[in-house]
Amino acid sequence: MDVLNALAAGFGVILTPANLYYCFLGSLVGTLVGVLPGIGPLAALSLLLPFTFTLPPVASLVMLAAIFYGAMYGGSTTSILVNIPGEAASVVTCLDGHAMARQGRAGAALGMAAIGSFIAGTVSNLALTVASPVLVAVALRFGPPEYFAIMMLGFVTTLYMISGSRVKAMIMLGAGVFLSTVGMDVVNGAERFTFGSVNLSGGFDLVAVVMGLFGVSEILLNVEHLARADVFTRAIRGLLPTLRDWIDSWAAILRGSVVGFGLGVLPGGGPVTASFLSYAMERRLARRPERFGQGAIEGVAGPEAANNAAVAGSMIPLLSLGLPSNAVTALLLGALIIHGVQPGPMLMTQHPEIFWGVIASLYVGNVMLLVLNLPLIGLWVQLLRVPYRILFPCILLLTVIGTYSINHNVFDVWVMIAFGLAGYVLRRLGYELAPLVLAMVLGPLLEQALRQSLIMSGGTPAIFLTRPIAASLVSVAAVLVAVLVLRGVRVGPTDAAAPHPTLEGSR
Amino acid sequence: MRRIVALLVLVLLAGALPASSAETVADTRARLAALKPKDFPTQPLEFVVVYPAGGGMDTTARLLGKYVEKYTDHRVVVVNKTGGAGFIGHTYLATQAKPDGYTVGVLAGGVWSDAMQKAKDKWSHKNFEAVAFINYAPVTWIVSTEGRFKDKSLKDVAAAIKREPGTVKAAIVPSISFEFLAEQVETKAGGKVVKVPFQGGAPGVTALLGGHVDIATGFLSEYRGHLEADKVKVVATAAEQRTSDMPQVPTFNEVLGAKNMVWSAWRFAAVPRGVPADRKKYLEAVLAAALRDPELQAEYRKTGSIVDNPYANAAAVDAAIDKLAALEREFLAGTGRLAK
Repeated sequence: MDVLNALAAGFGVILTPANLYYCFLGSLVGTLVGVLPGIGPLAALSLLLPFTFTLPPVASLVMLAAIFYGAMYGGSTTSILVNIPGEAASVVTCLDGHAMARQGRAGAALGMAAIGSFIAGTVSNLALTVASPVLVAVALRFGPPEYFAIMMLGFVTTLYMISGSRVKAMIMLGAGVFLSTVGMDVVNGAERFTFGSVNLSGGFDLVAVVMGLFGVSEILLNVEHLARADVFTRAIRGLLPTLRDWIDSWAAILRGSVVGFGLGVLPGGGPVTASFLSYAMERRLARRPERFGQGAIEGVAGPEAANNAAVAGSMIPLLSLGLPSNAVTALLLGALIIHGVQPGPMLMTQHPEIFWGVIASLYVGNVMLLVLNLPLIGLWVQLLRVPYRILFPCILLLTVIGTYSINHNVFDVWVMIAFGLAGYVLRRLGYELAPLVLAMVLGPLLEQALRQSLIMSGGTPAIFLTRPIAASLVSVAAVLVAVLVLRGVRVGPTDAAAPHPTLEGSR
Repeated sequence: MRRIVALLVLVLLAGALPASSAETVADTRARLAALKPKDFPTQPLEFVVVYPAGGGMDTTARLLGKYVEKYTDHRVVVVNKTGGAGFIGHTYLATQAKPDGYTVGVLAGGVWSDAMQKAKDKWSHKNFEAVAFINYAPVTWIVSTEGRFKDKSLKDVAAAIKREPGTVKAAIVPSISFEFLAEQVETKAGGKVVKVPFQGGAPGVTALLGGHVDIATGFLSEYRGHLEADKVKVVATAAEQRTSDMPQVPTFNEVLGAKNMVWSAWRFAAVPRGVPADRKKYLEAVLAAALRDPELQAEYRKTGSIVDNPYANAAAVDAAIDKLAALEREFLAGTGRLAK
């Protein structure tokens, strides 16, 4: 009952005209940056952070958080309509969302993405409300060995996620891990593979890499096939999903909520990993996995639900531990500190208005976004209907500005362009890019967790088997690898259009 | 009659008191306006921070900018030139930024560490001239109130390191003061510490709360919430003297009988060498005025920093930097990290 009282007080904070306005503003800006490829929530938050300094702490945090989850809603629109992820967490939505759009079912895909996001957002807010005091304890039990184990699991599930050649995917994973070692050694600070370059001493900036790989290469591919340009210019009909769509999607939405929420709570996890994992899971659980990549609606509903749930999940360590689980929540944490609010376990007692105000704002913001998104999809479509010859240069310009704005370093722009060209070549050769990015994200975390664990254990890998959480995660990964090996690594399908016999019967 | 005069004086005084403090801002503004060079600044000032937005240094710079705007009509823009743990931004400031007074680096000790360990004689901390000392926060060791050292002092910890070497786990950040301090403790205690590397103080504090390490290294700002919640306890600070915010906590030097266990986030503002004298003088005056503001000092204290300023002018700050850099050079050379 205490929780209900506190939440009611939180609604008291949020339901004032000023705070509602900032929540609305954040949702709108978030949707916009989500829709526009090249500018994600991270870039938008860093650009807008200074503007919130004059606001009271609650208003500023409510607005920044709204940008975060607003972007999750908006990102799907571009993925579905243009096949360019509006932001990183919507990468997998391209696969089936765009396939649906090409079949003339863009409306259902957009509608299901928005409704799925809403359901997941609300479900995970409920979980956040009830669980945040409890979950803090679980999060603390994750030390370096547990993180290593969960990263391993992340790598292994990637191999289940891809639709193309598994060998090519492994090459991409390896390349990603290698690229992630460029820069400073996480343990002794020595420089690796920098060739004496100051700019490489920090490694490749992930945002520049992602924008290049997914944004620039997509534009290059599209320039080649300009015929695609009319895919989304057809009228969008039927935003409300059919009964059949609901039957296909409801379980995916619920599973996506659970996966997303769980990954959001864990440091290193977040909307991006959550959406990938949910997609992989849906495909594994599907009765007819060959539909995936061909416009399976649960391949849209699951990941979109997961990335929204992850936002609420990542609020738990942020609000109750002062522990950011990803770059966006790190910025939110910075916003708290700038306002002189001390993050940490005392936040709930010292600043209940912030703690519960932000949680209440998540409920309100999700309703706003649903109301805002369904009718406004028309508006976003208009935005995307601008001819390619105008849209492409604009998107390229935005990616350049977005990339530059992160570190104020022109080198990052060159990195983005180089990865754009590389991405184009790789995609023409049939290599998937998602494993590359995943490995670049997980690589440094995996290496650090591994080396921390081995330092803790004095060099023996037994530490991964003597700690219960780590041991169970490692076993799951081992079983998944064994299944792959038994089915034959090379038996994987070689192009996305083929069915996926290797996944059949492995359940 | 005398009583009436006295009363009058009292009334005048009472009226004058709030008025005088309200006037100070205006007075300061007028004094600064008189010092202002004619042609500077005509555009916003750029405070360069070499660490990401939202971090401790970023907060420091943004707060400083806010109070510069309080005392002048200039706009301050904070620019985060990040990457390479600060090295990219340091190199930019030392070798590329124009010495025109518009670019002001809001820096910390990392700048001379980078100069010694990474710049390979391309630049050094002498490429900068200080314009203000901002504040400092000493590196500290904390233990969990439920862990192995819950009721122990630094002396007990040192004894445990000697008695059972290789069993005490400390969270550190590699290649910076956090690691250097742990090495000094090893030398003094006479045993090895298991130094578990983290990317920053806060993740180490979390590992301490989860019981994965026995000691965490960090700044007050990284664990204040846990300290107030009685989850952690500070065992020692790497300051020269006990600090005003934790007078009950001893220093490493006093417990272990050392002189060189002094490590902190020592924050200052500096410009690339060669800024015209009138502009540099003006910047010094503006920053000094902002840093004297009690509200700014209170905000800095809230972030866990110590604002007592022992330096009379920018030259004294430069001298202090030389001294701190020399102390660090001695340690780096002594541990074989630097030649000679």
